[in-house]
Amino acid sequence: MDFDPNDDQRAFLDVLEQMATGPDAAWGHDPDWKRYQWSPALDATLDENGFFDCAAEPDLGPVAGALMVMRLAELPVLVEAAASTLLRPRLAPDLPRPVAVMTGDGPAPFLPVARSVLRLAPDGVSAAVLDLGDVAAAESLFAYPFGQVGTPGAGWQAVDADPDTARDLWRVALAAELAGVLKGGLGAVLEHVRSRRQFGRPLGSFQAVQHRLAGASARIEGGAWMALRAAETGDAADAAQALGWMQASATRIVYDLHQFMGAMGLTLEHPLHRWTYRARWLKSALGGAEANLSLAAARTWGA
Amino acid sequence: MDFNWTDDERRFRDRVRAFLHRELPSDWAEVARHGPGSAEQTAFSRDFCPRLAAEGLLVPHWPAEWGGQGRPTWEHFILGEEMWAAGEPRGAQYMNVNWIGPTLMRYGSAEQQARYIPAMAAGNAIWCQGFSEPEAGSDLASLRTKAVPDGGGYVIDGQKIWTSYAGLAETCFLLARVPGAGDGKAAIAIFLVPMDTPGIEVRSIPSLIGHGDIHEVFLTGVRVPASARLGAEGEGWSIISYALANERVGIPRYELSSRTLSRMAARLKDEGRFDDPVIRARAGSAAAACEAARMLTYRAVSMRAKGQPAGPEANIARVAVVEADHAVSEFGMDFLPGAYTAGGGNGGADDAAILAHHERAIVAGIAAGAAEIQLDLVARRHLDLPRGAA
Ligand SMILES: Cc1cc2nc3c(=O)[nH]c(=O)nc-3n(C[C@H](O)[C@H](O)[C@H](O)COP(=O)(O)OP(=O)(O)OC[C@H]3O[C@@H](n4cnc5c(N)ncnc54)[C@H](O)[C@@H]3O)c2cc1C
Repeated sequence: MDFDPNDDQRAFLDVLEQMATGPDAAWGHDPDWKRYQWSPALDATLDENGFFDCAAEPDLGPVAGALMVMRLAELPVLVEAAASTLLRPRLAPDLPRPVAVMTGDGPAPFLPVARSVLRLAPDGVSAAVLDLGDVAAAESLFAYPFGQVGTPGAGWQAVDADPDTARDLWRVALAAELAGVLKGGLGAVLEHVRSRRQFGRPLGSFQAVQHRLAGASARIEGGAWMALRAAETGDAADAAQALGWMQASATRIVYDLHQFMGAMGLTLEHPLHRWTYRARWLKSALGGAEANLSLAAARTWGA
Repeated sequence: MDFNWTDDERRFRDRVRAFLHRELPSDWAEVARHGPGSAEQTAFSRDFCPRLAAEGLLVPHWPAEWGGQGRPTWEHFILGEEMWAAGEPRGAQYMNVNWIGPTLMRYGSAEQQARYIPAMAAGNAIWCQGFSEPEAGSDLASLRTKAVPDGGGYVIDGQKIWTSYAGLAETCFLLARVPGAGDGKAAIAIFLVPMDTPGIEVRSIPSLIGHGDIHEVFLTGVRVPASARLGAEGEGWSIISYALANERVGIPRYELSSRTLSRMAARLKDEGRFDDPVIRARAGSAAAACEAARMLTYRAVSMRAKGQPAGPEANIARVAVVEADHAVSEFGMDFLPGAYTAGGGNGGADDAAILAHHERAIVAGIAAGAAEIQLDLVARRHLDLPRGAA
């Protein structure tokens, strides 16, 4: 057991940290007050420097990939990391990115900015390279660019991968992203309750606030470690369990984060929604908490 | 990062399991049904711990000088997981192994060390921990039991409560306040008090966790020599902090919870009920709570293994451990209520194991400090939130 990153992972995370704290990663509201802010500059920098290929590097591996997905999800801006980092190298390394993922036929995140799409159907995995005109953007409350694709001009290509394995890779990616998103929101709320004073003291000095945030942090960190372990082991039960745990935790955490931000958290001038409305979509993914926890139980003890 | 056990660690765990398999009697589930502080388990531990010691498995992490082998932190931890999951056949003696022994090694006089440590290493010493009082629970530093200097020794008066193992212990690790030595924490001193000293009266408290587990201890004019004091008069609080730092991550409760949950799931499968999606989702949720607790605990142990102080990481782990214990216990009560009523279960070892788990789980958020105190510490140390108003 070693819960510290190895030297290569540490060096990798240090460089990632520089980018995650650089100007392309910083919060700024969208000129049209969109709920999300896609950062093509950060996405491109990460891409050009090979970050999205880390999971395939022997000294970095899927754990580094999951750590990167978490760190980027903490940002108020969006890049497409989960699919590119944890799915693409295993399923279709040659797909152009950004890569959107569809698990059903409806609208899906990232499609309007994606150059390819992976479709993870229960009976098979397929992929398509996207052309201009393949995707219709869709308005969504969730803080991602949503879009819908009919039949892509280039057509769907079958991907030679086991559909269950592919969905489990996606579960790990979603768990890591959800842990990161909630951590990002928690960080913003912590900053707020440390400085905002009411009744002559910081809000964060009230125990009612402290205990709920401390509980949130225990749940997020527990889930983050479970996601990292699932990334390393590739175990199917671990994957469903990590995602189910994060999804089950998210409901209460999202509620608390908004409560403690007060009215400011309901505006588009504060980024809280960037995290909570990604969390709200992520907690519904692949059937949501009960489906994933139930699957984890079936995989652990047999149906 | 690496979430796997090394071959050595695996072999060590196998060795502990093989020992338990060999040495625990066939009616162990019934014995373990009583709490770790019961007369049954205490009597059992007096026989079991010397065998564990002979096998080199009682204090393997202690230095050789004190009968140990200087084995690594992780092995000590694996030992704790296996013992707790087996129903803690060491009874009260797990405290000696984890913190009383190490604290005496560091702070004890030569005389105290010679008197107490070899017996602990041999597996034949029952101690109790006299901290809590009727008016001093979570706010331990407000304890009132007095130790008044008198003729080169002390006279101790006061009352302790919730004291586990007190009915059968030979020695008490007792906290008392020395008047005149300042207020608050500075006045607290530690005394190693033989329980047969005149003036000590022990009364068992009937409880939800089995008889003989928790007690009141009345101390009336209890005379002890100065040599019974551990460390200096003003040093008590820092010694306790050291002692408790050794216990930081606490009992690896998730290990028993996780195994009990597996028994419950197997039982539900036997009854043809495990394909119920509600039951399965709840089982999955309880299992996930156990794994979250496990990962957070390992995180803290991993730091300790590297000689880094695990502060807030240990507090977070304890919060998660409480949640996991309760998740499993409530799962059992919701879906296997028969196991908690005579005639309603399957009449086998499973019933005893499920009952025993429940009684251990309900104390998780209170014994060894309330969960809310841990949440306070997480908020302050980990989330950097300002201290609350007094
Ligand atoms: C099975 C068992 C075995 C025990 N064994 C021993 C032993 O061997 N030796 C020993 O000395 N003690 C022992 N104890 C006592 C244990 O340490 C205390 O019960 C514990 O410290 C809490 O104290 P209390 O019960 O007086 O609760 P209180 O301090 O009265 O608190 C009651 C509740 O109030 C809440 N609370 C308290 N303080 C705060 C706060 N600051 N902020 C928010 N909420 C708060 C918590 O929810 C807490 O559970 C044992 C307890 C149990 C249950």
